[in-house]
Amino acid sequence: MTISKKAVLLSLLPAVLFAASLASDAAAQSDSWTPRRQVTILAPAGAGGGLDMVARTMAKIFDGKKIVTQPITVENKPGGGQVTGTVAFANQDAKNDHKLMIASTPFILNHIKKDGNSPIGPDQVYPLALLQVDYGIIAVRADSKYKTLKELLDAVKANPSSVQFVGGGGPGTWDHLNSILLARKAGVDAKVVKYNTYDGGGEALTALLGGHGDVLTSDVSSIKQYVQAGKVRVLGVSSDQRLADDEVAKNFPTYKEQGFDVVTANWRGAFLGKDVPAPAKKYWADKVAALTATQEWKDELKKQGVIFAFKDPKGFYDYIKADQAMYTQIYKDLGMAK
Amino acid sequence: MDALQYLAQGLGIALQPINILFAFIGCLLGTLVGVLPGIGPISGVALLIPVTATMTSGLPQADAATSSIILLAGVYYGAMYGGSTTAILINTPGENSSVCTCLDGYQMAKQGRAGVALAICAIASFVAGIIATIGLLFMAKPLAEVALRFGPADQFSLMILGLCALSSLAGKSQVKAFIMTILGLILATVGVDPISGVARMTFGYPELYSGIEFLTLAVGMFALGEVFKTIITRDYAEGEPIRVGSIIPSKQDMKDSWASILRGSALGFFQGLIPGCGATLCSFMAYTTEKKFSKNRANFGKGAIQGVAAPEAANNGAAGGAMIPLLTLGIPGTGTTAVLMGALIMFNITPGPLLFQERPQVVWGLIASMIVGNVMLLILNLPLVKVFAKVIETPPKYLIPGILAISVFGVYAVQLSLFNLLLMVGSGVAAYYLAKNDYPIAPLVLSLILGPMIENNLRRAVNLYNGDYSRFLTEPISLTFLVIAVLWVAIPQVMKLRGRRLEEVIG
Repeated sequence: MTISKKAVLLSLLPAVLFAASLASDAAAQSDSWTPRRQVTILAPAGAGGGLDMVARTMAKIFDGKKIVTQPITVENKPGGGQVTGTVAFANQDAKNDHKLMIASTPFILNHIKKDGNSPIGPDQVYPLALLQVDYGIIAVRADSKYKTLKELLDAVKANPSSVQFVGGGGPGTWDHLNSILLARKAGVDAKVVKYNTYDGGGEALTALLGGHGDVLTSDVSSIKQYVQAGKVRVLGVSSDQRLADDEVAKNFPTYKEQGFDVVTANWRGAFLGKDVPAPAKKYWADKVAALTATQEWKDELKKQGVIFAFKDPKGFYDYIKADQAMYTQIYKDLGMAK
Repeated sequence: MDALQYLAQGLGIALQPINILFAFIGCLLGTLVGVLPGIGPISGVALLIPVTATMTSGLPQADAATSSIILLAGVYYGAMYGGSTTAILINTPGENSSVCTCLDGYQMAKQGRAGVALAICAIASFVAGIIATIGLLFMAKPLAEVALRFGPADQFSLMILGLCALSSLAGKSQVKAFIMTILGLILATVGVDPISGVARMTFGYPELYSGIEFLTLAVGMFALGEVFKTIITRDYAEGEPIRVGSIIPSKQDMKDSWASILRGSALGFFQGLIPGCGATLCSFMAYTTEKKFSKNRANFGKGAIQGVAAPEAANNGAAGGAMIPLLTLGIPGTGTTAVLMGALIMFNITPGPLLFQERPQVVWGLIASMIVGNVMLLILNLPLVKVFAKVIETPPKYLIPGILAISVFGVYAVQLSLFNLLLMVGSGVAAYYLAKNDYPIAPLVLSLILGPMIENNLRRAVNLYNGDYSRFLTEPISLTFLVIAVLWVAIPQVMKLRGRRLEEVIG
């Protein structure tokens, strides 16, 4: 008896599955799409890092504010400085409407530079929204003889080997470019700038404080508290205008106001698979916009020390394409372009 | 004494019933997480940050932060301890720093002394934890200044000393150990070079951009290598499972190991201060130092209790030492302290130069929680030793698939990549043939860690000093390390020559 019952059930199974798939297809065809099962946010980096933090914050607020009612999990796929995760996402999840990815500036840098090149760029995925930005800074020890960006860059110009730059990323990374772009504006050959790479911003800062480097290239979120503690002095920030909203950062002079026309930002944003149906793309664009409009989101960003920014899919795409064009030119000049 | 007053306050917070409960949960979770290879303290703490946020969400903000940190500190210590459990029982390093514990711990287990090995681990961790906390209590500020002095040249020379110390891990042949060291250094060059940004030996595979994952290789070589050996040599056919002997270390055991524990703790603590040094290097330096200065050197690698006590003490000491640059400067010296820093930031506490002044209750709460965590771990683990030690009595036909499952699960759970699984199996096969031909595995695995540190610091130093190599000899800290390195290698050779001459004279 039991056997025949099982057999009946088993023979029914394909039919049920078929019906279910028809139903879900029908749902996908219609204009209003909503997630039907668990949603995944992919962070192409290890747990605990910046990208992971964005993914987990998103999941928390999506869920807490009931913006998305299906359960949300965060998946970490570290390796190759976002390359492993972004490649897997673009290839395996091109049509997956239940999966979002968080990526940042290195995502496009990897696509255009020669070494460590990634086949995946902004055109192989669907840019969904710009979520936040951080700006580059140039800092020196509090007791340093350099008081302004001009003094510093004049010294570099006069004798490049007398000024040791330190940063948390290797050549071609965003940290490095932050210093190189300025040097170029000052008329210094980027290749002679004396630069040392450390394993992360923390170690680079240690080197600066310990006197093993003269200048640190880093970002606003990492440097703020050292400024407060009176350990370092920020000579310049890469934003277009002063960061008036921030109590500490409002005193940082911009590169621009000191006569060095360099404006860059390290962005983090959300992406979808390239071939996700249009209704799902619209759904997620709306939901992410709703997320970024909440007070909780803004509070979280403030807590993490990053700056609020938002752009819709179209705006975000144009934004990163402009970034890509700018960095491609720099890599070409440095001989690091693909 | 200001520090003591603050500590008493901190202990007052840490000893509230709710926080003791959190410390207990943390240690328990940590031990479980640590048992899985691949999920070490770093990913354990990272994965549990959101969980702790939920668990403590009912408390007021300031209390929630302290409670969460207590819980996470428990996870951290628990995971460190759990990692050595598998290292001893099944030769599987649960995390990076327990690689050295495998060397003698597993041999002890094979001799039926698993219980003793596990107990001495718990005791060594406890003592080191307490010593490190005391150091943190009284010397945090001056030591932080010392840590800053360490430049790239000094780091390079320290790593060279480490490389020379590797020679102590040689089995029958120094030459074979040398070959394995070089092989490890070569493997270490795979990946995107952090200094120049150039991809080396990656053959265009994105999986290789970040280099060969240390733990994947270590688990493959130690755990799978042993599994393959057992299967191929049909060890399991004899069917005589190992009996677990006494669990409590004998008076002789304690007498043998107390000095090693103290030395290991101190060494670990001071090395932990140096950013970028890492717990793995500390435990390995402690191991080789013990081996070098031990009277029964021949016993190392064959189940010497000092070979378990010293590295365990060192890696726990380093965990405490690494807290100093984190709390006073906001500089995370190890991967785990980096994650811990992330956790602190989530609770609106930014570790850094201002922390001691602005949020003393958090700092002292954390320091107190380190003490509570260590005590908790000892209470929790001594009874558990009995349970864990039973694992070794499992008949091999069940144990072997179990080890395979744990290794595969652990490595896959963190990396989520098939490539790393294949790498693990491949290195297991390689390890079997290497071990069969008396090529020691430990030098290869450890030089994989040393390689990038040596290379990067050398290049940073040369760049910093504009190509002037003499600075390695004129910087005092660097010179000291180089001298010790030379002596480390030279003294045994001189002794050998002398012994021979003496024999000639007498003979």
